[in-house]
Amino acid sequence: MKVTLAGDTVRRKDARSKVSGSALYTDDHRVPGMLTAKIVTSTCAHGLIRRIETSRAAAVEGVRAILTGADAAMLCGPLLADRPALARGKVRYFGEPVALVVAESDAAAAQAALLVEVEYEPLGFVLTPSEALRPGAPLVHETLGAYKKMVDEIYPEPGSNVCDRIRLVKGDAQKELLNCHTVIDAYYTHPPTDHVAMETRAAQASIDADGVITITTSTQAPHEVQKEIASLFGVDMGKVHVTAPYVGGAFGGKAGVDLEILAVLASRAVGGRPVRIANMREEDIASSPCGAGAEVYVRLGADGSGKFRALEMRVLLDTGAYADMGPRIARAILADCTGPYNIEHVFCECVTVYTNHTYATSLRGFGHVTSTFCIERTVDKMAASLRRDPAALRAMNLVRPGDVAPTNFTITESMLGNPGACLEAVKKLIKWDDGCVRQEGKLVYAKGLAVFWKTSSSPPDAGSSAVVIFNDDGSVTLQVGCVEIGPAMRTTAAQICAAALGMDVQNVHVSMPVSTAAAPRHWKTVASMTTFLLGRAILSAVADAKEQLGRLAALSMRCAPEDLEVHGGRVFRKSDPAQFVEIKSICRGFKFQNGNTVGGRVIGRGSVTMQNLTTLDRFTGHGRAGPYWTVGAQAVEVLYDTSDHSFRILKAATVLDAGKVMNPEAAHAVVRGGMGMGLSQATREGMEFDPSGRPLDTSLRTYKVMHFSQTPEYLTQFVETPNAEGPFGARGIAEHGALGMGAALANALSKAAGVQLDELPVTPEKIWLKRSEKPL
Amino acid sequence: MIPFEFEYFRPETAEDAVRLYHELAQSGLEPVYYGGGSELLTMARAGNRRFGAVIDVKAIPECAAVEEEGDKVYFGSAATLGAIERSGLFPLLGRTGARIADHTMQLRITLGGNIAGTIRYREAVLPLIIADASMEVYTPDGAQSVSIHQVFSGRLDLPPGALLVGCRVAKEYARARHGHVKKTKSEKIDYPVATVCALDADGYLRFAVSGVHENPFRDLTLEEIFNDTRTVPRLRADKIVEMVRPGAVSDVLGSAEYRLFTFKRALMEIFAMEREGAMV
Repeated sequence: MKVTLAGDTVRRKDARSKVSGSALYTDDHRVPGMLTAKIVTSTCAHGLIRRIETSRAAAVEGVRAILTGADAAMLCGPLLADRPALARGKVRYFGEPVALVVAESDAAAAQAALLVEVEYEPLGFVLTPSEALRPGAPLVHETLGAYKKMVDEIYPEPGSNVCDRIRLVKGDAQKELLNCHTVIDAYYTHPPTDHVAMETRAAQASIDADGVITITTSTQAPHEVQKEIASLFGVDMGKVHVTAPYVGGAFGGKAGVDLEILAVLASRAVGGRPVRIANMREEDIASSPCGAGAEVYVRLGADGSGKFRALEMRVLLDTGAYADMGPRIARAILADCTGPYNIEHVFCECVTVYTNHTYATSLRGFGHVTSTFCIERTVDKMAASLRRDPAALRAMNLVRPGDVAPTNFTITESMLGNPGACLEAVKKLIKWDDGCVRQEGKLVYAKGLAVFWKTSSSPPDAGSSAVVIFNDDGSVTLQVGCVEIGPAMRTTAAQICAAALGMDVQNVHVSMPVSTAAAPRHWKTVASMTTFLLGRAILSAVADAKEQLGRLAALSMRCAPEDLEVHGGRVFRKSDPAQFVEIKSICRGFKFQNGNTVGGRVIGRGSVTMQNLTTLDRFTGHGRAGPYWTVGAQAVEVLYDTSDHSFRILKAATVLDAGKVMNPEAAHAVVRGGMGMGLSQATREGMEFDPSGRPLDTSLRTYKVMHFSQTPEYLTQFVETPNAEGPFGARGIAEHGALGMGAALANALSKAAGVQLDELPVTPEKIWLKRSEKPL
Repeated sequence: MIPFEFEYFRPETAEDAVRLYHELAQSGLEPVYYGGGSELLTMARAGNRRFGAVIDVKAIPECAAVEEEGDKVYFGSAATLGAIERSGLFPLLGRTGARIADHTMQLRITLGGNIAGTIRYREAVLPLIIADASMEVYTPDGAQSVSIHQVFSGRLDLPPGALLVGCRVAKEYARARHGHVKKTKSEKIDYPVATVCALDADGYLRFAVSGVHENPFRDLTLEEIFNDTRTVPRLRADKIVEMVRPGAVSDVLGSAEYRLFTFKRALMEIFAMEREGAMV
């Protein structure tokens, strides 16, 4: 039997289904009698709902129900329950769902939705954190003090637009900055962005006569949906079944509970009949959650030799109209605020601020694209001020094992990996030593660097579990709760299981779709933690299975179980491999010669949680946010045209410390995907609003993402410093390609154009404006 | 999902199409002519456009044709941008069309749809304007041939129900030396911040512009300045920019000032092409 190893390239288990178009996604499922629900959305950025008239809509043939906020009393939210499923009393963003039409057909629902009349009394609105923090600014949540906290560690400030405020204090940054040789002050901004997953959000729900709620949804977190729906609708979790089929991209935007609530409300209103709801692209962009924008102040001080001595950082995170995951994104920024540098004195304050546009949720990078951009631009400014090579300045300041993390605990090599090796390797990939700026006539070639780190920032009790079941033919069915959202985690799960069992990955079958009724919980398929957390759970389940196999085989081979080894579909005697039994002959028990059978089917189970994590202290930020970091270095080479300020991205490079590369081709692919996303966000993406607060770019006509033909040459490489607690030494790598792309690009273009590009996205017009501002 | 009901017709002659239009309009049904549908369908789906009936013109042979006719070339209004580019019959039109959309959409967007649509850029019209195209139009009075200059000044101005059947261009213009420059906000395939098409008509450069003003334009006074060899190109460009300034648009793609900057760059690039013999 062929044995799959960690480090083998394994073709994706879903490759053929997806490439042939036969893979089924949520909205592909139809059942007889299924109704369609359609949202009616606010045309006012912030206003009181004076009147909702539904009679004309109700008269459309085929309409079965129309719901408004009065029909949905609950407030939702993973951290702070501040969000109504349908607006009640007021609307807080243009695009907020105010009514839900349920009809026999898509056409009837669409026709009726246009006929719902809503009258608003507009209120003043705010679109950026700094606007929202001005004295006298309109309040997005007047009732902020009354909301239920779903977690203890959230600190809203009633009477303001501050949803949460946390600080990190290490040493005395303010004092140290006064003594620094060079201090760089900078201000950075980037707008909210959209996830732009290929598959827009969709959900389906039905309720049977026994009150069992069945949901199919495009989600990263079926168990979270199960828990939240059970809580909101007052039923046992066992009475909520959630299934996640293939998900056509998510990037964090499908890790919350959103359309599912509407689907269940709709089904409940029509006696439990199955109801589907699916976003048009415009709804996905304007009504469903977005990626958070930010305004950041940075002050970095260094001594004469270039050693970073102190950092002050103030982050205003734009969480939109509702909190959702905003405060946790702010916390994640706080925990890793310094970037992978050793800075002894740090003060960081992260304020999560409400504004009147769609609410922010997790987005690839979870705040680290923001923080990496701000720190890495600042480091380049510092290098310019000190007249040091940007690579050398970074190298001398990189954090090392033995240093103290920003949240005040000692870092080990296993936790960190090797940022220095990543930096050295990326310099070679981009040919940094050949020069980072070169002019040829009106064209300028320039290179920019960035280094990053990221830890997971999960709740301290985030966990995962796995069940390994042997089938009669010796193949394995693996029941796990992670969802396939693109990075091939189903394949990785199978590979880890196969490698641990010494089997061929072709004989390990990961059950699809993922159903809460059968799959034990995986926290959520987020945070680049699936390989780590789920991998550990699988290894634990495999160990359990091996122990059971050993006991059964020992009966057959009349020896102690410790003398046996499992590999290649067999259980064999360590001292004499010629003595073995095939797994398939014992995997449902051991049968004696006369037919007597003992034991039972081998079912391996494993459960793990994050270890040694804590919440962060509200005032000092001290604590432990994640089990390890993934570090890396990135570089971008651009070709800039001085005559019209246009630019092409020629090359983009990433070297990251993967601990152990599980599946090489998949690893390169997921990093490149992240790089593409990061470059797209940095050059094209950002939500814009008209003077009435209406989003202007709600379709792909105007919300541009980088097209395939515009992608640069990708150069990706891995360093492997084992993570002692990761499966086979692995660290998570799924998000990281995106983290430093904007920073590296802005560093390259700032150099090329001779201006400071501190605002994303970077466009030729912004470069032109900056150049026009420069004194001659 | 298009949130309203509508009728669909597919006539096989221009005469039938026009007659159908008037019948439907009279019965209050709000008809529209339908080519590729990229504008009609997406706007209908988003609730921004309503119609009672679509008259699909793709089955009318004169609307679909792309061909040479003696000393002229002919493009039907239902010919796709992709088909026009592939034909090679009018390279400037092919190139201009190729930068309007991605390949997938180029197989769908029609010449007529781009020119007659509500989206203001209408880049496909630029080569036709500077090539003095004649427009084949069908009305209840029958087929007529009119100069593009009579029916297009920023927008296509035809009587309601008139069908644009096709465009005819003299080969000497279709094959003339030409240049095309398109500036976008960032992404290569996008609406223009400024698009300039230029054509060498016997040593005299004609040009037309899209994106800078609300609608596409060609201005003969500006062309005179463009060809004024007594002044250096940079000063000619400056003068043209100043004259164009009052109508420059500010929107999400760019500010008016930036538009004018890119427009000037585009003009300078056309001059450079001319100088370096890069106009082919």
